Amino acid sequence: MGLWESFLNWLRSLFFKQEMELSLVGLQNAGKTSLVNVIATGGYSEDMIPTVGFNMRKVTKGSVTIKLWDLGGQRRFRSMWERYCRGVSAILYVVDAADRDGIPISRSELHDLLSKHTLSGIPLLVLGNKIDKSEALSKQALVDQLGLEQIKDREVCCYMISCKDSVNIDVVIDWLIKHSKTAK
Amino acid sequence: MAQPLVKKDDDRDDEAEYSPFLGIEKGAVLQEARVFNDPQLDPRRCSQVITKLLYLLNQGETFTKIEATEVFFAVTKLFQSRDIGLRRMVYLMIKELSPSADEVIIVTSSLMKDMNSKTDMYRANAIRVLCRITDGTLLTQIERYLKQAIVDKNPVVASAALVSGIHLLQTNPEIVKRWSNEVQEAVQSRAALVQFHALALLHQIRQNDRLAVSKLVTSLTRGTVRSPLAQCLLIRYASQVIHESGNTQTGERPFYDYLESCLRHKAEMVIFEAARAITELSGVTSRELTPAITVLQLFLSSSKPVLRFAAVRTLNKVAMTHPMAVTNCNIDMESLISDQNRSIATLAITTLLKTGNESSVDRLMKQITNFMSDIADEFKIVVVEAIRSLCLKFPLKYRSLMNFLSNILREEGGFEYKKAIVDSIVLLIRDIPDANESGLFHLCEFIEDCEFTYLSTQILHFLGNEGPKTSDPSKYIRYIYNRVILENATVRASAVSTLAKFGAMVDSLKPRIFVLLRRCLFDSDDEVRDRATLYLNMLAGDGIVSETGKDVKEFLFGSLNVPLGNLETSLKNYEPSEEPFDINSVPKDVKAQPLAEKKAPGKKPTGLGAAPTGPTSTVDAYEKLLSSIPEFAGFGKLFKSSAPVELTEAETEYAVNVVKHIYDGHVVFQYNCTNTVPEQLLENVSVVVDASEAEEFSEVVSKHLRSLPYDSPGQTFVAFEKPEGVAFGKFSNVLRFIVKEVDTSTGEAEEEGVEDEYQLEDLDVVAADYMLKVGVSNFKNAWDSMGDDCERVDEYGLGVRESLAEAVNAVINILGMQPCEGTEVVPSNSRSHTCLLSGVFIGNVKVLVRLSFGIDGPKQVAMKLAVRSEDPAVSDTIHEIVASG
Repeated sequence: MGLWESFLNWLRSLFFKQEMELSLVGLQNAGKTSLVNVIATGGYSEDMIPTVGFNMRKVTKGSVTIKLWDLGGQRRFRSMWERYCRGVSAILYVVDAADRDGIPISRSELHDLLSKHTLSGIPLLVLGNKIDKSEALSKQALVDQLGLEQIKDREVCCYMISCKDSVNIDVVIDWLIKHSKTAK
Repeated sequence: MAQPLVKKDDDRDDEAEYSPFLGIEKGAVLQEARVFNDPQLDPRRCSQVITKLLYLLNQGETFTKIEATEVFFAVTKLFQSRDIGLRRMVYLMIKELSPSADEVIIVTSSLMKDMNSKTDMYRANAIRVLCRITDGTLLTQIERYLKQAIVDKNPVVASAALVSGIHLLQTNPEIVKRWSNEVQEAVQSRAALVQFHALALLHQIRQNDRLAVSKLVTSLTRGTVRSPLAQCLLIRYASQVIHESGNTQTGERPFYDYLESCLRHKAEMVIFEAARAITELSGVTSRELTPAITVLQLFLSSSKPVLRFAAVRTLNKVAMTHPMAVTNCNIDMESLISDQNRSIATLAITTLLKTGNESSVDRLMKQITNFMSDIADEFKIVVVEAIRSLCLKFPLKYRSLMNFLSNILREEGGFEYKKAIVDSIVLLIRDIPDANESGLFHLCEFIEDCEFTYLSTQILHFLGNEGPKTSDPSKYIRYIYNRVILENATVRASAVSTLAKFGAMVDSLKPRIFVLLRRCLFDSDDEVRDRATLYLNMLAGDGIVSETGKDVKEFLFGSLNVPLGNLETSLKNYEPSEEPFDINSVPKDVKAQPLAEKKAPGKKPTGLGAAPTGPTSTVDAYEKLLSSIPEFAGFGKLFKSSAPVELTEAETEYAVNVVKHIYDGHVVFQYNCTNTVPEQLLENVSVVVDASEAEEFSEVVSKHLRSLPYDSPGQTFVAFEKPEGVAFGKFSNVLRFIVKEVDTSTGEAEEEGVEDEYQLEDLDVVAADYMLKVGVSNFKNAWDSMGDDCERVDEYGLGVRESLAEAVNAVINILGMQPCEGTEVVPSNSRSHTCLLSGVFIGNVKVLVRLSFGIDGPKQVAMKLAVRSEDPAVSDTIHEIVASG
């Protein structure tokens, strides 16, 4: 009987499994790879090396399988972001909220990216990271400085998180699951 | 799992007639590549598409920059799949597309992840791709992983890292050199391929350090290398070490012993490599060769074609230097003549021809005949050339060889092939008097059905020169006249000339020739008619004055006494005018440089093209030139003219060389001068000769040269009286002249000139100047027939010499005689040698010399000199020459 049961489970998972594809972009040292690690394993490490190129990770949360394209944030990779954002369920834009000098660059890169017609309509989730630091911006300041209000053609959401202290990570995951498409 | 297996079988079956990718188009495949972007990947489908893309790339299809970029980024998306087969295709595709550096960097992180993966296949292939796309800075980041990979316990991973190291050594040598320790550890690996790659890398790292290579080879030859491939490499390195250490190895010879021990290895590859290395050692002795030849002989009868080929090819090379060593294999090689593989068969034949002895020639020829019909023309030419040299080696066998040549001449073949055969026959006719008539007859038969105008005219020319001298010239007339009836205008014209030659030489045939030539007067081609008219008038003129007969012959047979190159320039410069072109105005001298080249030793005239020219004609030209100068007319017959001796360095202002003309009682130095300064005109050019170191000579005439313009050779002569017979001396020369400045724009010279001198190098008259190089075809017969009445034998010590060959050459040069039967070549490492020389000494005395050389440990050379000549005094003189030389 157990065999039959597990077979049914397998069939069910086949039909009701949800799948989503996400792209993580943002300037270097914003915490993209750390976020992936936190989502996937819950672990955090201070000592990270810059991502040269991209990291591909698959994470399963409940019945949702998330494919994560974690892209390098250095200047030479920014022109290639667009290629890995095409056709994804959502774009996650990670910002170092404590790096006030970097915000203007971050803002222009974000708007450049969103101006690509191949990416129109894809939901955007902006994450202000590193709120554990004292100099971190407030949510409103971040929204203002990134000019998120001007984005009209898609759904935009913004959360303030800390990968180090795992603040608001569950909110992010909830948001993601909500936006996952049902496969098949 | 079953799927790929089935596919493999299909591939093999269909390989010949059907490719599954036949007719696929780039556009369609690029469309298909969109599956790479599907959210739900189908690994199998993706693999197929990549296969198609790779197929297109390998067929030479090119992708535009945009296409390549699109495909590349699409392929990178496939990193999300964990399918091992697909990942492998992804690696291949990245390597194959080799996108620009700023794009390919996107996969770096993924590859680095794969490089540390638990899957061996990922690790190995990621290393290869990463090293392909990496640059110096990235390399330092991944160096740690590569070093680990080299000593990885999985052989595939270790090999990948080692091979990548070999590639990286080209671009980042200093980094790779830091891996020495790891590589050395890998050399000890139990895995065959790892050992092979590690040895290759280790050698490359150290290749510029001779001592280190030597140490490496020394330590490894002691036997830790198990892999046959690595063993082969080691053999190559060992022979390289032997080569670089020169012949200084004495006593213990560990490297040679190692090579020899490899002959007993169980892998054929290693045995062959060792055998080849031994045969290629410089200065290998026959004792060292024997074991190598023995194993090669075993390979000759192997069932594997590749072994047979390898063995016969190596033996073929050995046969060039050590023919005797290969003779043991002759029986095995003869069976290879009928080998299915034509490359093996051709190599076997040509090797046999090099090593065969006189008695085996007939048998060999029979076998070659069967074999000739089914090889390609270029192989046939190789065989014909081998037979030509064989024939010169064994003149007595000319009959069977000539038969063979005439048989293959009748068969189908291209121009080059036929030309090679005809050339060989002509050479045989010229060198072997006995072969004359049958050879001419074969050529006659050939032109009866010859489709090559060039060959027909050449043969007709040759026939005209040789035919009239035969016992029955009339039998050739039919063949020649057939040409007049049947062939094209060019051939008809040559046939007319040939007929005329017969008419001029053979009086009994003259009336019949007249009849034939008259018929030619009605030919449709004007050249043929002109020739016929000319020859008829000339031949008819004969008989009235006896001297005209000689003129006619000279006209018919004489070669053009001006160099063709000069004639061509003169004709080009000639402007049509009232004054007819005067052939006497053509300079008769070739420029110093080309003449020296033409007379370079070893360039024997072969075949038809070079036949009428050759050395005799230059002597004729000299004779004509000298007899035209009244001062020298009384000197008698010219005995010998030397090759030009350069008296100036190359590329000096004035190039001067000298030709020594030897008469019985006189010597004439002909100085060929060329002025290489465009701004100068030389006048009143003469050479002032100081003969104070040549007491027996006294100057009689000096003929100066009136003017020597730029780049137009001229001669000046100095004649000396000397005692009859032999006299030696040293002459110092100074070129004296008046130099005038020339305005190069107008070409006009100034009125006033300045007297000047130019020092030339000294000139010697030596024994060799009194000796004509005349060969004999059968030395033994000539020697025996000369008898021992005038034989003089003595022994000489030649002191310490570099080698036996050097001593032999020195003696040949002193005597200036013709080496016979190839005895001037000394097999390397032989301790004794016999050299046979022949020549004609001044006074027209035939001389034969037999030299026996021996060399001992400290390179002391001793020589026994036996001279036979027609005059005992000459035999004594030869001994004097050698004693003083």
